[in-house]
Amino acid sequence: MSLIRQIWLLMLGTVLLAFAGSVTVAVESARGYLQTQLRLKNADNATSLALALSQQKGDKELMALLMSAQFDTGFYRRIRFTGADGSVGFVRETQATPTSAPTWFISLAPIESEPGVAQVSDGWRALGKVEVVSHTYFAYDELWAGSLRSAFALAVVGLIAGGVGTLVVRRIRKPLDSTVEQAHALVAGEFRTVPEPRVPELQRLTRAMNTMVSRLRVTFQAQAEQLDTLHKQASCDRLTGLSNRAHFLGQLTASLQREDGTAEGGLVLLRVLDLAGVNRNLGHAAADRVIVTIAQALRPYSERAKGCFLGRLNGSDFALCLPVPNVARETAQALSDALSVLLPSLGSGVAVGLGAVELRRDMTPGQVMSAADAALARAESRGPFAVELGSEPANSVAMLGEGAWRQRIREALVQGRVHLVNFPVVNARRELIHLECPLRLQLEEQGAFEPAARWLPLAVRSRLTVDVDERALALALAEAGSDGQARCVNLSPASLTDSGFAARLRALLWDSPRIARLIWLEVAEIAAVEHFDLLQELSRQLRPTGVHLGIEHAGERLGLIPRLFEAGLDYVKLDAAVIDGVGSDEHRLTFVHGTVTLLHGLSLQVYAEGVSNEIDAKALWDCGIDGATGPWISAQQGAQPAP
Amino acid sequence: MHARLRVRRPARQWLWAGLAVIGLLCPGMPTQAWDSERMMLAAKRISPRAVAGAQALQPVLTQALDMNEAAQLQAVNAFFNRRILFRDDTEVWGQVDYWASPLETLDKGAGDCEDYAIAKYFSLLAVGMPVSKLRLVYVRAQIGGPQGALVAHMVLAYYAAPGAEPLILDNLITELRPASRRPDLVPVFSFNSEGLWQGVGPQAAGGDPTARLSRWREVLAKARAEGFQ
Repeated sequence: MSLIRQIWLLMLGTVLLAFAGSVTVAVESARGYLQTQLRLKNADNATSLALALSQQKGDKELMALLMSAQFDTGFYRRIRFTGADGSVGFVRETQATPTSAPTWFISLAPIESEPGVAQVSDGWRALGKVEVVSHTYFAYDELWAGSLRSAFALAVVGLIAGGVGTLVVRRIRKPLDSTVEQAHALVAGEFRTVPEPRVPELQRLTRAMNTMVSRLRVTFQAQAEQLDTLHKQASCDRLTGLSNRAHFLGQLTASLQREDGTAEGGLVLLRVLDLAGVNRNLGHAAADRVIVTIAQALRPYSERAKGCFLGRLNGSDFALCLPVPNVARETAQALSDALSVLLPSLGSGVAVGLGAVELRRDMTPGQVMSAADAALARAESRGPFAVELGSEPANSVAMLGEGAWRQRIREALVQGRVHLVNFPVVNARRELIHLECPLRLQLEEQGAFEPAARWLPLAVRSRLTVDVDERALALALAEAGSDGQARCVNLSPASLTDSGFAARLRALLWDSPRIARLIWLEVAEIAAVEHFDLLQELSRQLRPTGVHLGIEHAGERLGLIPRLFEAGLDYVKLDAAVIDGVGSDEHRLTFVHGTVTLLHGLSLQVYAEGVSNEIDAKALWDCGIDGATGPWISAQQGAQPAP
Repeated sequence: MHARLRVRRPARQWLWAGLAVIGLLCPGMPTQAWDSERMMLAAKRISPRAVAGAQALQPVLTQALDMNEAAQLQAVNAFFNRRILFRDDTEVWGQVDYWASPLETLDKGAGDCEDYAIAKYFSLLAVGMPVSKLRLVYVRAQIGGPQGALVAHMVLAYYAAPGAEPLILDNLITELRPASRRPDLVPVFSFNSEGLWQGVGPQAAGGDPTARLSRWREVLAKARAEGFQ
């Protein structure tokens, strides 16, 4: 039984017991008092009557008259005169008079009317004794009315006591609940602090818990910072702080492979012309300055545009990946113009060449890089600050206007031209954990089902992501309901900002509460960083339904979200860019290992995305990762084709 | 018997056993109606003089057990008339009217008319006299011959049969006389404890608050506590 319920019962029991006890005592003492009064009255009246009778000189008629007169006052049940020889000389008796008190009460609290007895004589001659018994009905009336009064008064007192008790219990309950909730949250891996209550015992408890939580926070923060350092070491160029080649290529691969990655975009390759010559002529320090200047010119792109990333591929080469089509050439030209002003001031003969390509989702990273290399080679041959564009890609659907896009997405949703594709996520024993189910839309009738990369940016612009996500969840619920398989749906970061989103998902999940436990929902790490409060709110609203909630595409900013453990999440999926090549790169392995350890410490499950070969997979299992997905996994499972 | 009562505890058990045997052998004999141990304890609480009084009274009562009623009346009447000096309540108790219990009277060695009557009444009940034969009577007494002073007085009357002429136990004239030979007394009202304890358990007297309400009840309660009845 819960503590509060016990307190409640204790209080109720005490009040009831006090009530019953005081009513009993009140009734009993009133009964005793009335009984005593009756006895005294009987005795007194008997004595007075006997005195009067003793003065009649033994005249039986006069004595009978006196006794009748006394009896006829109506207060007596019986008056009896017994002669000295034991014979009854006179008796008057009435039956019981009805009273206002109920019979059960009379039988429960009987009032005895003890007879009063006195001796009657005529001079020295003993005549006998007279016995007087008063009526009890008025005593019963009095006792009944008094009992009702005291019961009512005590009931009022009891109610007041109960009311005060309720207030006190509420006062205790509030901080107790919050402490219990904190403890629950701790178990669920959610490390939050709560305000200290005023009740001293609970205050100490809460203070201890809060202290523990903040210590944990410090510890996790420290670990996260260490990881951040590791991550930088593993993926950054030391001089410029930009991504190194491996990391950049990992990011490029991930963005081309992901369902919600870049559908179309551009890539700019930039090369310092004759870096060896610059080194030789101007010195090592000046060459470094050149490199840093170029990095500074490039950095604003990745900082300002979402989905834009860049890297230093080797000593002289930089790459910039743009998430938007048809801007590669302008970007390259703008960079060329800016650098042609900046670089000559560092030394004569310092120049760059730029190659730009448009990229599409169906290209491999190798194709993109070789096309860009080819363009760069052409630019180099044209001289300093030249810009060359690679072959023009075919026209895309993106050429359509925004209104038309909105129309198409909406129609696809309304007409049900949607379906989920399944990618297995398995654990080290190759057991299926859940199916990752991205939504695909058939934008054109009879056309292909397109991945999110094609339509998501436009859905974001058209504010249709909430409808899309809701539909994906509904589909997942239906499919999970039919085959009992756990399914994972990713939610768009844009949906989080919609105020009705959480409520709509919640309503859907409550409709099929049993299947809700099979559903996993995830948002991208970027959303967790930018809309942490919204994510926390979503978690608070959805977790009671039994769904699992997690973060996908994680790794780049894990160190930046120290509050991750406050969000109440279940799992984290590490981005392909982070785990790519983990089997062959010591730094990456260290980073992934540290991340897994940290996240396990926060009671979060850790999964890897985009595992593409066996070496990486083996390294990941050795790190203790809980599950993995990706082309290699899918191929092993013999399920869907690689995404 | 007098000497035996003083023996110490282990021997006392033999005494009770002996009494029980006598009781079995003589079925017609009146049974003892007082608690001698309780009486001694109550006397000890009052004073050594009360103890001496009780020690003097007990052999008289024990002897009276075997007597007929007339002899019992003689013995009890003589014991109290001899042992108790007549004194006004104001002198003895400092109150206008005080009804003392038998042991209180024995303690003071003095009392007025009702103290005599009360002590005799309880002693007679103790030796097995039926309560219906005894009455305490308020009388108007003329002291010192036909022209003497008229005073309020109390005597104990013994009725050998219901409606018969009573014998009067008095402290003014110590001799037992039938009522007709006491022209100096005019009876006013009589009472006894018959029916007074109806519905009340034997031990209730001490704790019963109403027992203290009238003089008569108070004395009854005190006498009970002293082991009478």
